[in-house]
Amino acid sequence: MPSSIRCVLSTLWATIVFTLASAASPIYAAGSGTYEAELPPQLATTPDMCSLLPCAEVFPGAGHFSQRKGQPPYVEAYDNDTPQKKLLGYVMLSTDITDTPAYSGKPVVTLIGMDTRGRFTGLKVLKHSEPILLLGIPESALINFNKQYVGKSVTDTIEVGPSRPDENVVGVDAISGATVTVISQNQVITTSGAAVARQTGIIAPTVREPARFAVAGKTYDWSQLVGMGAVQRLIVKPEQVGLPHSSEPFIELWFGDLNQPDVGRSLLGVNGFETLRSRLKEGENAIFVIKTAGVESFKGSGFVRGGIFDRVQVKQGADSFTFRDLDSYNLYGLEAAGAPRYMESAIFVIRSKAFSAAYPWRFAFLGNRVDEATGHRSFAVFESKYWLPASMLEGGRPKVDEPDAPWVRVWKSQALKIVLFSLLLVAVAVVYAFRERLTRMATHKNKWPVNIFKYSFWGISIGLVGFGLMAQPSITQVLTWFHSLLFQWTWSLFLSDPFVFLFWIFIIVTTFLFGRGLFCGWMCPFGSLSEAIYKVARMVGLKRFQTALPQKWHDRLKWLKYIIFFGLLTVSMFSMGLAEKLAEVEPFKTTFLVGISNRAWPYGLFVAFLLGLSIFIERPFCKYLCPLGASLAIPSTFRWYGLKRKQDCNACHACAVGCGAQAIDEDGRIDHRECLHCLDCMILYSDTGGCPPLARERKRREKDGLEMTPIGDNGYFIPLYPATVADQIMPKAVKGPDPRMPTDQTLPAHKHDVGFVEWVLLELRDHLWPWSKDGWRSQRPLQIAGISLALAVTIAWLMTAMGSLSSGAIIGWWFGWSVYEVLIRLSGRRYVKDGPWWRDHYRVAGVMDMLSYVAFKNLLIGAALFLVLKALGLFIP
Amino acid sequence: MSDKKENPGQDSVNVSRRHFIGTTAVAGLAVGVAACNDKSAAPAASAGSSAHAGADVGKYEVAPGQLDEYYSFSSGGHSGEMRIYGLPSGRLFKRIPVFNMDCLVGWGITNESKKIIGTKADGSLKYHTGDTHHVHPSYKDGTYDGRYIFVNDKIHGRLARIRMDTMETDKITELPLVQGFHGVFPDKRDPVDQAINYTTRVFCGAEFSIPLDNNGKNMNDTKDYRSIFSCVDAETMAVRWQVLIDGNCDLVATSYDGKLACTNQYNTENGAHYEDMMTVEQDACLFFNVARIEEAVKAGKFKTYGGSKVPVVDGTKASNADPKTALTCYVPIPKNPHGVNASPDGKYYACSGKLSPTASLIEHALVLKWFDGELKNPRDAVVAEPEIGLGPLHTGFDGRGNAYTTLFLDSQIVKWNVEAAIKSYKGDKSAKPVVDRIDVQYQPGHGFTSMGETKDADGKYFLSDNKFSKDRFLPVGPLHPETAQLIDISGDKMKLVADHAVYSEPHDSIIIPRSLVRTRQVYDINDFPNAVKDAKDCRVERKGKKVTVYLTSQAPTFGLREWTVKRGDEVTIILTNLDKVEDLTHGFAIPKYDIQFIVNPQETKSVTFIADKPGVYWCYCTNFCHALHLEMRSRMLVEA
Repeated sequence: MPSSIRCVLSTLWATIVFTLASAASPIYAAGSGTYEAELPPQLATTPDMCSLLPCAEVFPGAGHFSQRKGQPPYVEAYDNDTPQKKLLGYVMLSTDITDTPAYSGKPVVTLIGMDTRGRFTGLKVLKHSEPILLLGIPESALINFNKQYVGKSVTDTIEVGPSRPDENVVGVDAISGATVTVISQNQVITTSGAAVARQTGIIAPTVREPARFAVAGKTYDWSQLVGMGAVQRLIVKPEQVGLPHSSEPFIELWFGDLNQPDVGRSLLGVNGFETLRSRLKEGENAIFVIKTAGVESFKGSGFVRGGIFDRVQVKQGADSFTFRDLDSYNLYGLEAAGAPRYMESAIFVIRSKAFSAAYPWRFAFLGNRVDEATGHRSFAVFESKYWLPASMLEGGRPKVDEPDAPWVRVWKSQALKIVLFSLLLVAVAVVYAFRERLTRMATHKNKWPVNIFKYSFWGISIGLVGFGLMAQPSITQVLTWFHSLLFQWTWSLFLSDPFVFLFWIFIIVTTFLFGRGLFCGWMCPFGSLSEAIYKVARMVGLKRFQTALPQKWHDRLKWLKYIIFFGLLTVSMFSMGLAEKLAEVEPFKTTFLVGISNRAWPYGLFVAFLLGLSIFIERPFCKYLCPLGASLAIPSTFRWYGLKRKQDCNACHACAVGCGAQAIDEDGRIDHRECLHCLDCMILYSDTGGCPPLARERKRREKDGLEMTPIGDNGYFIPLYPATVADQIMPKAVKGPDPRMPTDQTLPAHKHDVGFVEWVLLELRDHLWPWSKDGWRSQRPLQIAGISLALAVTIAWLMTAMGSLSSGAIIGWWFGWSVYEVLIRLSGRRYVKDGPWWRDHYRVAGVMDMLSYVAFKNLLIGAALFLVLKALGLFIP
Repeated sequence: MSDKKENPGQDSVNVSRRHFIGTTAVAGLAVGVAACNDKSAAPAASAGSSAHAGADVGKYEVAPGQLDEYYSFSSGGHSGEMRIYGLPSGRLFKRIPVFNMDCLVGWGITNESKKIIGTKADGSLKYHTGDTHHVHPSYKDGTYDGRYIFVNDKIHGRLARIRMDTMETDKITELPLVQGFHGVFPDKRDPVDQAINYTTRVFCGAEFSIPLDNNGKNMNDTKDYRSIFSCVDAETMAVRWQVLIDGNCDLVATSYDGKLACTNQYNTENGAHYEDMMTVEQDACLFFNVARIEEAVKAGKFKTYGGSKVPVVDGTKASNADPKTALTCYVPIPKNPHGVNASPDGKYYACSGKLSPTASLIEHALVLKWFDGELKNPRDAVVAEPEIGLGPLHTGFDGRGNAYTTLFLDSQIVKWNVEAAIKSYKGDKSAKPVVDRIDVQYQPGHGFTSMGETKDADGKYFLSDNKFSKDRFLPVGPLHPETAQLIDISGDKMKLVADHAVYSEPHDSIIIPRSLVRTRQVYDINDFPNAVKDAKDCRVERKGKKVTVYLTSQAPTFGLREWTVKRGDEVTIILTNLDKVEDLTHGFAIPKYDIQFIVNPQETKSVTFIADKPGVYWCYCTNFCHALHLEMRSRMLVEA
């Protein structure tokens, strides 16, 4: 579309939106759902904020609201609009003050009222993007959460959790299952309240000890000043404000302290420094700013009319300092040798006693970010840190107690539980690592050496992990991880729920080591509950009603969960919110996080149905529906250590019959994507009474009065000379497929006898080059299509790198390419590795094997490419 | 012109110039001719464009977003004002009305400015004209302290003080007994009290001699005409004392130790016509012993004249024959000198010959020695007298031992070395005082170096204020602008780097680094006793026929939308600008009442007038202030 037409259309659209919006005043309609609610476009900028927002709702009794004032902005609430009006308090919009993101990565836009004594009078969520509040937890939960703040004072330390009067901490109760959301919300409310309270004098400003400078009498040049951090840079790229990528920065600023005499004299010269000092009163501090590149101005023109510099701020701790024209002097020039040429310059004076040059501070450039797609402007703050070098301060840098990040507070307050939970996870892993000792102790008649552990862990995971800590992992986390990996990785977001975080470390590690079965079969709260019900039902005599689906149907239905997973993943690319809604296919939220009784009946019914079905079928949800299991099953294809098999398994179906997960096929091969590690087959593996081949050999030896040697690693009796292991294999099994690997072993010819370097190169080629001679011969059209697609993908990546393609488009291309890659590889390079990736245990790839391989490999490559682009500063999501 | 450059010594005397200065000058100039012929080895003026910065000019431009390195404070001549420029850009920042009227700011219109300028009994201005020549800021520790700038009015003999924080005139003093007050210079410290290391006095030299009782009697006895040298208190601006002298005063300089003030004398003849003023071979540079004069005043050794109460001591030659008690010392200087300047090291005074092609270098220590009776002849205080070119006037210093003198007739700046000049004067033939010359366009009057009149002379720039611009700018009718030419003197060779056109007529300027100037951003409302501090206080008060209107301005409104007075009332409007935003100035004009003035942020001004014309008068804001500037009005209703 030509840009002119697009421009006209967007103008038209804006006009329509604006007209519609103006028709309904106040524009914000109270009472409607606030998930991704449309906020008035001019909300961020209009001075008369309360003409657009229901300010009176958060400040009962107020009849008149002022225009936005202050920095960060707020409005004053008055009883009426007469000259004798009385100031009642303040109303603030959270996003004016902080952009603290919630679980969704976006802020919960909240309108907050606060009286003149700093007590909250009301809170109203205007917009949120929290998927958990969509279906899982009613929005009323958040409203109720916010209600807790009414009457509480901003001067108190408010934390999510119990009140701790001895530590002066006022607690608010969390929303079960939405911890991240409420921790973020608490942060938003207290930060916003404090920011306004500081400006209005409710909270006394912090007074920091003025700096005492260690003066060496030295003169530094520019590069020395930069080198020691006495001059800092702040650079904003066009992409960061929603403009097209360019090599020219949006703005490049250098700034620094002018109070330390050595620094001040080096920068301003002796005369300039003395002149500046003579203009400052005791306790006042000055900084300089110059602009060396970019199209933007850090001064703007707002200060000309209103006298306020609206684009720069200095922040120290929780205090922020703004400047008006009378706090600014001309910076005549920089005397420091090698100082860059600049187009704009100023000296700003911080007059507040709250500021001390001895303490760390931040210089903030305030910009507007324009959303390319919608044209929406949002407020963006770019900060750069500054702290005078220790050598320039008498006694070095003072000790600074920075308040812990919210996630740190969570980890600290839950330390004991976290340690215990970690120990539990380590214990599970250790027990499982020594599984063979247990399975050898157990027999098919007595599985307790294994089950005592497994059942204990089930109990713990159901009771303590599921219902207690509510740390049931969920497919939504996988989707979040997936997005984070591609777009923005925020450690603090993941760290704010320590149990889920630790659980995921466990899951990732054990999936790679052993496959997903350890988590699914031993630790998943819902899975454990489901199988426990099945086991209990069997114990109480319902065994005769219990059944399993015919293998044929099982093998068809098991794909359903993969389809669900890919469906959710695809939907999440377009709408995380919709994906989160659809993720209700997981009964976890209803079962553990919220509780059946707290949810609408269809959810309860769904859980009841699944758990009821568990009485008759082992783990029906896990086998056929669980998208989380499916997502973990894909990398499980490449677990490093699988369960053991022996040649005889291809003919003997003893294990397969007893396999609750129905993961052993006709040829005795275990499908590690399906296996839930009940270890029954591993008990049989060394059970001379239960394993038919072993029983046969045992009986033969008993009959012949031969020595009963131990069972070797290969699952056979250690042979008695001159017999060999082969003698123990039943004749009908000898010719059959090798069940020790999921598919037949193969070894690509090119991997024979190569040196290390060549091996690495071949490895790389194998992963990055899907085409092959064989494939070319047999599937020419497909190959050609593949090559052209690969070309398109490469171009798409380049365009992304140049900033002219959105990340969404590249994901689409990448997905399409991956599908083709599967097809191409199946036609020419139909092999995957089994076991550790650094070995050459190749086997013939099944379709699902290849899918898993390509999907996983390309996810990693994609993430790596995104990371590289980001590191190079070429791509801002 | 180019032939002259080949060897300035040989044909630097050119007939037309001789005609210009008149035939009587020939005798004096002959000395110069002979001398010039001697110094054939002196460097030629830099040839043609090589003296110009050429491609380097960009270095002296001030790009958008950059600021000038220097302020230049310049007199405005008979415009009566003072001006502030930026250097090297040459941008005019401000015109400060001093002795003139200025309807932009309302100088001479508001009650406050009228009071400063001086009024007659009926409240109207005493003078509307003025002629500023010399601008000199106050000193501390030998350099500028940024408090005040003093500037003279040659026409009416007044001294004005400009406060440098607001860059506005705050006091004007009329000197008694003088006409043609030309040279002015603040002292740099007290001669006696070493603790006072800053300016407390301002010295003023009167150029025109007049009868002491200038009452219309004895007007033709020109021999009894007198010039008076005055000392004004820098704080109170009261005239402290005056000195009766022989001959006239011209420009003034002061010593760094505070002990001496001096003035060059071009009319020691006391001639009334110009030819009479050129009769003697040597005029003088007259030194005043400040401490002795003040002792004499203290001791009551003074007279008063013509109704003035200012003590006048006797500084005539006859009364000061004994150096040990002398108040004054007359050091002979060749031919009608113009310009006397103290060197930054405090050791010398350069006094140029004007009609002699020489500059005389007087050693400060030797003058003091004379006052101590240890130097026989005042002329012995002259330690060098290099020949530098025709029509030497003012000298600036670079702090590296070089002097730069404007050559009016040669249209040149000559750079000469002080030490070489002294050696040469002592007879060292190998010493070549003249180091460099550069043509300027045309006829330089005053020239000065950056910080050259302080101990911190930095030797970066020389500005040549040329009296004729002729073809240097686009023609604008018969009145041409003057040329202020900027010369980079930081290297061995002088480089002409900019031509700045300036409105007539700067006589003197000073160049100060920007860091020494500390201006206010807005006014302090409490500085004005009559301030209307709140818009609610706006009102009209009547006492008989006297009506006071209390007004505020705050963009885009005045505190009263309308007010009513009666025909014949004496109306005083007091207007306070309540806006506190830097640069948010409002104006206030009343049609048909000839009222216009501005109020800067937090400033208060007032005007008084008789409401003699009935009707509706829209008072409006004249200084663009706001998007609703045009709407910022108020009605004065004058009832018939």
